Amino acid sequence: MRYVLRRAGFFLVTLWAAVTLNFFLPRMMPGNPAVAMMAKFHGRINGQALTALETLFGVNTKESLLAQYVGYLHDLVTGNWGISLTFFPTPVSEVIRTGIFWTLGLVGVTTILAFILGTWIGAISAWRRGRLIDSIAPPLLVITSAIPYFWVGMMFILIFGLKLQWFPWSGGTNIADTPAWNLSYIGDVLDHAVLPSVALLITTVGGWTLTMRNNMVTTLAEDYVRMARAKGLKSSRIMLDYAARNAILPNLTGFAMSLGFVVGGAILIEYVFNYPGVGYMLLQAVQNEDYPLMQALFLLITVAVLVAILLADIATAIFDPRTRSAR
Amino acid sequence: MRRLIVTGAALLIAAAVAACGSSSPSGSSASGSSASGTLTMDDETGSEWNCSFNPFNPNDIGNGVAFGQVYEPLAFVNSLEDAKATPWLATSWAWSDGNKTLTFTIRKGVKFSDGTPMSAADVAFTFNMLKKYPALDLNSVWSVLSSVTQKGDDVVFDFKSQAVPYFYYIADQTAIVPEHIWSKIANPVTYGDSNPVGTGAYVVNPCTPQNITYTPNKYYWQPGEPKIAKVLFPAFTSNDTANTYLTTGQAQWGSQFIPNIGSLYSDKSPDNHYWFPPIANVSLIPNLTVPGLNDVAVRQAMAYAINRPQVANIGEYGEENGGNQTGVVTPTFSSWVDTAAAAKYGNDYAYDPAKAKQILQADGYTMGSDGIFAKDGKQLSFTVINIGGYSDWVADMSVIQSELKAVGIAITPQNLAQNDDVSDLLTGTFQLAFYDQTGGPTPEYELRQWLFSGNTAPIGKDATTNYERYSNPATDKLFAEYGQTTSSATQHQIVDELQQVMLSQVPFIPITEESDWFQYNTSSITGWPSQSDPYALPAIYQYPDMGQVLLHLAPKG
Repeated sequence: MRYVLRRAGFFLVTLWAAVTLNFFLPRMMPGNPAVAMMAKFHGRINGQALTALETLFGVNTKESLLAQYVGYLHDLVTGNWGISLTFFPTPVSEVIRTGIFWTLGLVGVTTILAFILGTWIGAISAWRRGRLIDSIAPPLLVITSAIPYFWVGMMFILIFGLKLQWFPWSGGTNIADTPAWNLSYIGDVLDHAVLPSVALLITTVGGWTLTMRNNMVTTLAEDYVRMARAKGLKSSRIMLDYAARNAILPNLTGFAMSLGFVVGGAILIEYVFNYPGVGYMLLQAVQNEDYPLMQALFLLITVAVLVAILLADIATAIFDPRTRSAR
Repeated sequence: MRRLIVTGAALLIAAAVAACGSSSPSGSSASGSSASGTLTMDDETGSEWNCSFNPFNPNDIGNGVAFGQVYEPLAFVNSLEDAKATPWLATSWAWSDGNKTLTFTIRKGVKFSDGTPMSAADVAFTFNMLKKYPALDLNSVWSVLSSVTQKGDDVVFDFKSQAVPYFYYIADQTAIVPEHIWSKIANPVTYGDSNPVGTGAYVVNPCTPQNITYTPNKYYWQPGEPKIAKVLFPAFTSNDTANTYLTTGQAQWGSQFIPNIGSLYSDKSPDNHYWFPPIANVSLIPNLTVPGLNDVAVRQAMAYAINRPQVANIGEYGEENGGNQTGVVTPTFSSWVDTAAAAKYGNDYAYDPAKAKQILQADGYTMGSDGIFAKDGKQLSFTVINIGGYSDWVADMSVIQSELKAVGIAITPQNLAQNDDVSDLLTGTFQLAFYDQTGGPTPEYELRQWLFSGNTAPIGKDATTNYERYSNPATDKLFAEYGQTTSSATQHQIVDELQQVMLSQVPFIPITEESDWFQYNTSSITGWPSQSDPYALPAIYQYPDMGQVLLHLAPKG
């Protein structure tokens, strides 16, 4: 219990630091939202509009930084995240809502799949060290995980999208679709998710496989595994309960972190596939000096990562009694 | 389209599309689009739609989603036909009181898309709302207006002083909104207008973050219009996707920058066409407060040293023209060019590196051992800010750099992030810069944006359009005179004088001509604007022109 409390305290301090950084960093960027809007629409919006835009965005407010900071903390707690400047005048919460489910669906599911698949392949490769699967799977996955995933994405668009026309390659659904809970819409969403998801999967699965295999190999050399063999336990039980259970621990924290980062989306994949997630939204927010949207997204990512780490710590404590008693 | 980020990836995919063009059946991907009278528009805007259609929100009109097809102006002013004005929601107008009063007679029988009649009251309401909320007044019309009042079917605009060119901003660039809806809105500045009610030919039905569908307004005031039953406007977040959509025939109307457009687009089908009418200059802008650049001889030498067609050919794939030192964009405004004046300055500063060197030497500069001219120990060596994400502009600048180097002027490009670049430009924190303006229906608009001292600001403060900090009472007087006249002859005469300012003082150096990007497919839809029938600016993002284009289009056969 003390362990959990200690972790929770650490969580709160980190959260405060992150929230504060989140306030000050965007404000150190050069320019302001009005200038960014002028830049975005140069040649389309008359230069005279600068005056109107500065009024619109309240650029020249005389409010002190401290007063802004207090206001920011208050708004954070009350969930009032303001109006997005990129998507003016849509509220930030609304903007994020349009993207977050796409991202959670695509990147979240893919991350979980990659973790399960990678860990499984890693465990089996280590268990059958030197056999066929071990000599094929890990080297192959090293190669795929070394390829940048946006490149894989583009190759997929070329081959499966344009040339073979097996799968759609742009957007989250067919553009003429209206969102509805029916089979054709859901099928369409899944159809559109195939290429980006597979591209992401084959480039991320390798990392999990390699770490799992290496941990597993180390664990297999432990005395308690030899002891289990000596006792004549079933080999599947040794592999799962003795070796894999211990080997997976370091991977768990990594998995928790990457789950946290899911909220940030996969910017390049979303960009290449024109996918409507929050990753590309974040890039937009930064480019357009959209402080409210940027802050909300960074906050979401920070909180998600911190919560994920906290949960991973707790999970580790459950799996591994040693972490509980130490200190 | 955003011209930026023409990545290697874009080229790769586009090339592959071109290569496998024959193997992929062209009809399969565009299935169901043409036969049912559907038009798909293709313009990369960089983000998903937020389904906001407020015609006073720069985001919404800049993306071309609201003004033209849904909301309409009082008159349509065609930038490609010598500012020819066509009556639209107003049937006629007249200047009076020494061009200090403008009276519009509002059309009868026009209804908003909810069936409510549109009247002069709506027009007066719209403009008075802009006065009440300066954040909505994107064209600063209230900087010249003193009052707007309804008189029966007329709306009377009173000006503080004569400002005839503002006719364009008032009549063509301001959308008319219904009073019975907008008067009930607590704050029109933050109003999302997700279900817009306008007088235009189309209504939004429905909008999703990925696509806007427009269907005909059943109350539209022009019988038999519009002829296209469905207009789709998908949201494109990347140029690659938008270009592929266009080259595979899934979209019929494009406003994209496609590198090597011949092999990637027009050669692929006899139905694929493009037309890029130039509308404004992309210019090299000297900061006139910087020593060296405040010397007119240096600026003249630079103008002679740059081979403008060469820059356009290399940097812009020949898809833009080289600019003119007169500042008048051709062929769009060819009738305005003062050819006699231009001839006096080396045939409009035609490429002549020898002459450039000669001018510098005559001005007392001597070439140092490093091949750079200097006077009084001060070298002609400058930095130039540019937007690093615009690959074409970066290419332009490297051509300019080597050409200036050849005449003994050193420039060092600084490729900045877009916001940093524009921020420096506005505050005057640069030596040289590369940028453009919106222009307008006559050459005077762009020249005024660059040269009128009211558009500038001291270094450190944001200038609206006069970034080079040019200020000359004689030139300001020309703009004042232009503002007072409705006579075409006088206007031409004043623009001639402005061109002489451009030629003799070289306040900035036009390099290439910014094109209006326009690709179109004639297989299922006809009525597109073209060089021989330039009835409106053809790009999707040009408002309200795009509404004109939509009304001219019709399904084929």
